[in-house]
Amino acid sequence: MEVKILSAKFGIENAHLLEVAKQHGAYQTLDKLFSMTPEQVIDEVKNSGLRGRGGAGFPAGVKWSFLPKGLDKPVYLTVNSDESEPATFKDRHILVKDPHMLIEGIIICCYAIGCHHAYIYIRGEYTTQVRALQRAIDEAYEAGYLGETVAGHEFQLDVTVHRGAGAYICGEETALLESIEGKKGQPRSKPPFPAVVGLYDSPTIINNVQTIASLPYIIWEGADAYKQYGTERSPGTHLFGISGHVNKPGMYELPLGLPLLEVIDTVAGGVWKGRSLKGVIPGGSSTPVLTPEEVKTVTLDYESMAAHKTMFGSGGIVVLDETVDIVELVKNLIDFYHHESCGQCTPCREGLGWMLKIVEKILAGNGSVADIDLLRELCDNIEMKTVCVLSAACTMPVRSYLNKFRHEFEAYVADTAS
Amino acid sequence: MAEMVKLFVNGQEVEVESGKNLIDALKVVGIEIPHFCYHPALGADGNCRMCLVGIEDGRPPIVPACKTPVQAGMKVLLDAEHIKKIQHDVLEFELINHPIDCPVCDQAGECSLQDYYMKYSLDDSRMRVDQVAKAKRMDFGCGVVHDQERCVLCARCVRFTRQITKTGELGIVNRTDAARVTIFPGRPLNNRYALNIVDLCPVGAMTSQDFRFRQRVWFLKKDASICHGCSRGCNIYIDHHREKYKDDIIYRFRPRTNLLVNGYFICDAGRLSYKEENENRQVTSLIEGRQAPFDETIAAIRQKLDQARKPLILISPDCSLEQMWAVRRVSTLYGASLSGFSDAYVKAGDGDDFLINDDKAANRRGLELLGIKTDRKSFIEALQKTDLFVNFNNDLHFSGVDEEIDALLGTVQSIAVCSHQRDVFKTASIILPIASYSEYGGTIINQDYVLQAFAKAVVKNEAGKDMLEVTRLLGGAVIDARHAWPGIRKSVACLADVDPAAIPAEGIKLQTGEDANVGA
Repeated sequence: MEVKILSAKFGIENAHLLEVAKQHGAYQTLDKLFSMTPEQVIDEVKNSGLRGRGGAGFPAGVKWSFLPKGLDKPVYLTVNSDESEPATFKDRHILVKDPHMLIEGIIICCYAIGCHHAYIYIRGEYTTQVRALQRAIDEAYEAGYLGETVAGHEFQLDVTVHRGAGAYICGEETALLESIEGKKGQPRSKPPFPAVVGLYDSPTIINNVQTIASLPYIIWEGADAYKQYGTERSPGTHLFGISGHVNKPGMYELPLGLPLLEVIDTVAGGVWKGRSLKGVIPGGSSTPVLTPEEVKTVTLDYESMAAHKTMFGSGGIVVLDETVDIVELVKNLIDFYHHESCGQCTPCREGLGWMLKIVEKILAGNGSVADIDLLRELCDNIEMKTVCVLSAACTMPVRSYLNKFRHEFEAYVADTAS
Repeated sequence: MAEMVKLFVNGQEVEVESGKNLIDALKVVGIEIPHFCYHPALGADGNCRMCLVGIEDGRPPIVPACKTPVQAGMKVLLDAEHIKKIQHDVLEFELINHPIDCPVCDQAGECSLQDYYMKYSLDDSRMRVDQVAKAKRMDFGCGVVHDQERCVLCARCVRFTRQITKTGELGIVNRTDAARVTIFPGRPLNNRYALNIVDLCPVGAMTSQDFRFRQRVWFLKKDASICHGCSRGCNIYIDHHREKYKDDIIYRFRPRTNLLVNGYFICDAGRLSYKEENENRQVTSLIEGRQAPFDETIAAIRQKLDQARKPLILISPDCSLEQMWAVRRVSTLYGASLSGFSDAYVKAGDGDDFLINDDKAANRRGLELLGIKTDRKSFIEALQKTDLFVNFNNDLHFSGVDEEIDALLGTVQSIAVCSHQRDVFKTASIILPIASYSEYGGTIINQDYVLQAFAKAVVKNEAGKDMLEVTRLLGGAVIDARHAWPGIRKSVACLADVDPAAIPAEGIKLQTGEDANVGA
């Protein structure tokens, strides 16, 4: 099932070094790239159907075309390398094992959108990754792939790595911009959208590492080759991070559209210790949980996930075996999002803390059915009332656990009654 | 006049000014949208989520009103069930970690949380878990006291110090429900407008060291007035109250919005100048140090003026236009010289580029327009020649003693008609108490030639008379403030068309030319 598009060089020793990467095709697209017009590049990416790999799945080429034309301002590309969604561990592989693929992707995107200064926002905890990335950028500058010209072509491009300080919210694209600007990482109200007013009040495109890293293949092989993989509406491949209670957890590159159960059983070696499946978190902790019944029918693409009332997300698949205490899981989940709430909007700031305390109360055996109902109601009262979707990233999965595993909550409450 | 647009609120058509956000535009037509963080002086932040409104057929269908400009044909939903539920829910979130200590909170009675609770909730608390504990009674400096537990994190205070004073002493630290407003360690508030934060705070999180616990706000009578602290003429509310068997006391000044003069704010010095209206007042009439009845004192002054060979009258630059006119008439009546010398009221370098002016005189423009001399040379010459000096409330010692003038004053008999006990009046052989500006009405003209009217607010037990009434008792022709105007209109070109009863709340910006400055 596995394919090697993004991960083609992952198995090659020292592929993070320019010399080795070049032997395996790094930067080979550049001559082709500069023979195309920026519009042709955007069209090619649009044709490939490449969707944003940060979680929302918005078509990348379409996003680029939102940039206003004829503004007397610079255009910025910001590569989101915050990778802060729990259970997500895909971009870190690119950063460490094939950073030149990312830089090549940055060159392609910048040429397409007319950007001469790209920022890579990388989470503070990624110390190994930032070293590998900065080394690759330094190499690229030295070899003339970045700087006043790109590989001898009349195109100036600078790339700056900006390290975050470890806040989850800085993965939200406008909080990320605030953070680069040196401000407290808090999301901005939209509109205006970053494509119009972004970094330093200038038009800005924000794309995930994996999205950008997919570009060299698309330009080199063409959109049609990319579309060979995946489904019609979810084309291409994706780096999936499979974790939790499986025999072979790890990062796997797969085409989109594969049946989730088959992936768990064959790619990830099935549920460990001969236990049965309790549920699967399909795309990072903020995606609503799937029951074993739903896992049987869902496939790994945006459409099937939506049809199952969850989201494709970041490709971070967490497999839960029968021993998982869902109430404990929910406590852990709310604890995280509560801790990471930026504190700006009232419902998220105050509400998530309240939810956490209610779950803790239930876990301590002091809860009641009314508390379960209140928890469920608070999900509705908080969700979509805030500037960004952090609160929804908590309430959507919590609601799914409450709906699908309510009996586990009730068991805690019933224990109290007896 | 701005362009108007028609839109619908709850299905009802309304016409509002374009270019405004929904909160401001609808407020004008009497429709309130609840909010904590938005303030017209500070702009929209969008953090409180209290102003979320529905837009029928809108994308998105729910928007913060503070960040939504009015558009023609827009269908705004305010009383739809799902919007009322949002208001209710957001309020619940604001309140779960709030101490609900209204009985001991200074803000009670003028608190958005309290008002909105009464209007949008009235529900019992569902909070059955521990509240978040935060710090209380934090001294933020400049007389501002912060209670973190009452705070709704609207960031108005933070934005004020960043956008308005540009001093940036405040910030919000931490995330989530641990977020709190604070100062940097050892760096308290340090600006001359800090107490505006107390007004800006929609809840009881910011209170004034000076005002807190002194009076419940619902007892206060709130009268519009003009600050006389400098030549800016900031618009204020005088909040005062007479407790049973006691005197009418002013408890605080608060800014009153006037975009033509002071915007939304006042300086701290002006705000705290209410104390001068309460304290150190001249309340008794004195003849040669002996307490004398008012009528007897007036008669004594008349006699002195009649007998004087060359009296000199000095008038305060804080006086109202009407008072100045009346005193001018009296000076003519007695053949006296008249001066408005008040160099002491100018504190060079004290002003800033916001509200505070160097000139601490409230109505120097009035003196100028009425042609009353203010220069030092002519005042000293007149003082050298005079045999009777009558001072109408001019504090010659405003900036400290003036040795040259004091030496001259020592050689001449003097009378003080004054509102306060001050050094400079002590040497007067006759002292007559008068009302201060919170106790009479009139008009003044600020440094930028904005003519503003103010009314009597406070009635003291031992009420000093209006200076204008004193001039009448001295034989002057001006019966009251209104009767000063025919003469003023005739005398001052730029005031020729002014009807004092019809001066709008924001005042009148006078058109002054070279010729406008000529006295009759």
